[in-house]
Amino acid sequence: MKKAKVLATLLAGVMVLSLAGCGSSPAPAATESPAPAATTEEAAPAADTTAAEPAAEASADAINLEMWCIATESDSNRHSYEAAIADVTAAHPEINFTWEAIENQAYKTKIKAAVAADEMPDIFFTWSCAFLGDFVAADRVYCLDDAYQNFKDELPEVMMGNSTYDGKHYGVPLTMNIVGLFANMDILSEVGYSEVPGSYDEFIACCDKLVEAGYIPFGCAGKETWCVTEYLESVIEKSCGADVLNDIFLGRASWNNEDVAAAVDTFQGMVTKGYFDPEGIALSNDEVKANFMAGKYAFYMNGTWNCADFSADADFGPKVKVSEFPVINADKAKLGQLIGGPSDTLAVAASSPNAEAAAQFTFELGRLICHYGYLDGCGLPAWTPFGDTSNINPLTQAVSEICAKADSYVLFGDTAMNADEANTYLSYVDQVYGCNIDGAGFVSGLAADIR
Amino acid sequence: MNKKVISTINIILFLLPALILFVGVLIAPIALSGYYSFFDWNGFGPKEFIGLSNYRELFSSNAIGFMKALRNSLLLAALSVFVQLPVSLGLALILGRGIKGERGFLAVYFMPVLISTVVIGQLWLKIYNPSYGILNVFLTKIGLESLTRIWLGTPETALGACFAPTLWQYVGYHMLLMYAGVKGVSPELREAAKIDGATNGQVNRYIVIPCIKPIIKVSVIFAITGSLKSFDLIYVLTNGGPLHATEVPSTLMINMLFLRNRYGMGSTIAVMLIILCFAFALLINRLFKEDR
Amino acid sequence: MSAEVKVSMDLSLDQYQLKKESKVVKVLIYIGLALWTFINLFPIYWMFTFSLKDNKEIFGENVAGLPKHWLWSNYTSAMNTGHMNVYFVNSIIVAVATILITLIAALMATYAITRMAWKLSGTVNAFFMMGLTIPIHASIVPIYVTLSRIHMLNTYWALIVPYAAFALAMAILICSGFMGDIPKDLDEAARIDGCGVWGIFFRIICPLMRPALATIGIYTFLQCWNELMFANIFNSKDALKTLPVGIQALSGQYTTNWGPIGAALVIATFPTLLVYVFLSKRIQESFIAGAIKG
Repeated sequence: MKKAKVLATLLAGVMVLSLAGCGSSPAPAATESPAPAATTEEAAPAADTTAAEPAAEASADAINLEMWCIATESDSNRHSYEAAIADVTAAHPEINFTWEAIENQAYKTKIKAAVAADEMPDIFFTWSCAFLGDFVAADRVYCLDDAYQNFKDELPEVMMGNSTYDGKHYGVPLTMNIVGLFANMDILSEVGYSEVPGSYDEFIACCDKLVEAGYIPFGCAGKETWCVTEYLESVIEKSCGADVLNDIFLGRASWNNEDVAAAVDTFQGMVTKGYFDPEGIALSNDEVKANFMAGKYAFYMNGTWNCADFSADADFGPKVKVSEFPVINADKAKLGQLIGGPSDTLAVAASSPNAEAAAQFTFELGRLICHYGYLDGCGLPAWTPFGDTSNINPLTQAVSEICAKADSYVLFGDTAMNADEANTYLSYVDQVYGCNIDGAGFVSGLAADIR
Repeated sequence: MNKKVISTINIILFLLPALILFVGVLIAPIALSGYYSFFDWNGFGPKEFIGLSNYRELFSSNAIGFMKALRNSLLLAALSVFVQLPVSLGLALILGRGIKGERGFLAVYFMPVLISTVVIGQLWLKIYNPSYGILNVFLTKIGLESLTRIWLGTPETALGACFAPTLWQYVGYHMLLMYAGVKGVSPELREAAKIDGATNGQVNRYIVIPCIKPIIKVSVIFAITGSLKSFDLIYVLTNGGPLHATEVPSTLMINMLFLRNRYGMGSTIAVMLIILCFAFALLINRLFKEDR
Repeated sequence: MSAEVKVSMDLSLDQYQLKKESKVVKVLIYIGLALWTFINLFPIYWMFTFSLKDNKEIFGENVAGLPKHWLWSNYTSAMNTGHMNVYFVNSIIVAVATILITLIAALMATYAITRMAWKLSGTVNAFFMMGLTIPIHASIVPIYVTLSRIHMLNTYWALIVPYAAFALAMAILICSGFMGDIPKDLDEAARIDGCGVWGIFFRIICPLMRPALATIGIYTFLQCWNELMFANIFNSKDALKTLPVGIQALSGQYTTNWGPIGAALVIATFPTLLVYVFLSKRIQESFIAGAIKG
């Protein structure tokens, strides 16, 4: 029953996440909220029953709904989308549903051009917070408050926080993910570690030993700056504390902060000490991930959506452990301060001729994508889990345990900031990784350039 | 109806398809871009008129780095004119003079022009791959391991690594234009010079090159405006990275439009690009005229 | 100038053999030419070989040699997962339609500009020539907005119309060069025989413009065949994607498995090269003509 408890506490911990709208606020330590009964027996009504109910009320005429998302054939979420779509369309014969998946970068271009032209599909994938916020501010997104009433019991309102603007809900969250420190235990044991070192000093000592023994400690895709932020943001958070970082991301505090500068220097120190694969700067994340799975790196810090792919690999799965980045400055930061939160979201276009039906449909679809995604290990569920969850892979279970002890979450910087600021931020992160500027240059530059 | 009216109607009818296409797809959108460049606008929200602020920011902001992007594309233009075109000219002069295997060489040198830029980009991505790319493998094999680089990942080498395929691809194109010119030089003229005792080099210098000047002018204009417009290859190879080392105006523009949601600023870059292309075309025309 | 610089590929120039040059210079020239040949052919050869290998061979055992096991399954992957066959057909459809539209519009416009006497013809010609320097990406969003308003996104037309517009300037340039070579007396004779303007255009001018058509066709073809940005944004439906977009998408899917990417690159390249091998003289002449007539 350990798992059930974990899930409950996880939700309690996440509960507090982002009530303040976009971003996050400190969570009370996840307390001993009584675990609900085992998930299996108490499974929420099976998918199709809930799905069919509101459908019956819908008009008998065929409704065309179109969706755009990023679950391309190589995406680890692909299966959960396919399974969810199969279920929901079976339950809604009156809806003529079409969807297409577009590669991540191309999608960002495409959806923005579509919003500019007011030619959006009825339902579209979006990242929460600033990305969706721009569209909401332009009145292009349909408000989901009414449809949400039917799903209140299964979707905790706090999970909607990152897609809530002026108190109104605009997005259906799917999964939530945090940044995890993945470790290849085979390599660690070569230098005499059977666990991921828990304290920062030990961790650094371990990295030094790895370098000495000829191993590369970290793999990081320099070609995709968001991968660098997975490392950098964790270092800053564990040096300065979650509140400081969060206030900066949300524009409530200036970047000009000595602690942040020092943390950036700490990160850069890791780069100059050769902890990172020098070839990583020219590689994409897929390539780095493949290298990690091939045993080229000891650690890989990235989103917990990777749990699915790692576990699915019969050779590699048993070697990996996931943990939290150690605390660097215990005066300001503590364990349980994590980077992440619900970001993957579905939204409905205000221009959709069938927006009401689309809203209902989106909730049903989101609920199932979340369900199947959770079963696949693509992330933690934003919705209350149902069905048999006993087969969930051990890595994802370990992530739930980390989240269960969460103190607070800071959303990924490039999701929390608006597009212009996020890209300025990413370009400075790039320069830090390339050792063009130091911590002081980073904070002063950002303080000056963020409009 | 009088004749003049009929002929006017005919002129309009004949021009109509081209005009509709041209104005509708090129001129009107560019006029719109010019208009949007005076606004702070994210492409879908409300617009705010800010006069010339976008232009001012474009030239002064380090965060945008337009000047650097411009420098990069001017560097590419300079390389095109001073490296690519001389190579093309040299090949054209040699082949145009008539040597064994002329047609075969011509056919091979022109091949890269026919390959899609995306294919060339993907191919060179593989050539440059730090671990398995043929370039580093080759250097290692011949004992020059110290020369191996992360070609596209190091700011110092990335720009050169991006330019190499661009220059390589279009050597054949310029060569073919110039070759045609060389072939067109009247044989009598050459013969006369030869009888006067001119060497091959002198024939080229005093007879052939002056004759094909108009073609060289076309090549120079294409090379420069092409460099200013360059996009596809850099987009595939580095998309402006690492550390903005390979940023060119077109990649910046796409970045502004679609990543940063700064439609006003993206339009400003578009306008600057068009102005630059025109300015260079005029300048080159002027230079070649004075030369005459 | 253009009168002097006639296209004369067959002109035999044996009187200018390299008699005066020493053997050394001759050998050096051939070494240079051979080197440049190698630089041009090797990447294409390498692309072909790695399209038939698995990662093991590409990454170490056999980097540059011919494949040990000819892995045709890479091509099956590129077709089945990558849908390269579909994209190939799409690219052809878009290119052919673009060429047709460009040809008709350019021929008509050039006829009006060069053969009908009116005051503004020079200005209109200069106006069209602006198109030569305009970067295609500068107008992407306004065009997108317009296409969406008239519901043309996600159709072949979304690419055909802009491509035709951007090919127009070059086409008119080439056309005016060729049309200038057609004697005006022909028009006069036809007019005396009672032919109207349209009659002259269709019966006299169009048939005589055939060489120009080939030139324009090839220019336009290469432009459509290569274009990435518009194709990426204006068409999101898999069934309508063109080759460059398809290759970009496939390389995203197979970042670490080079074989199928190589296969896709070959599929996108070899048909054009094959046509080129058979028609190389014609294609080269077209290019030359295009440049010189301008």
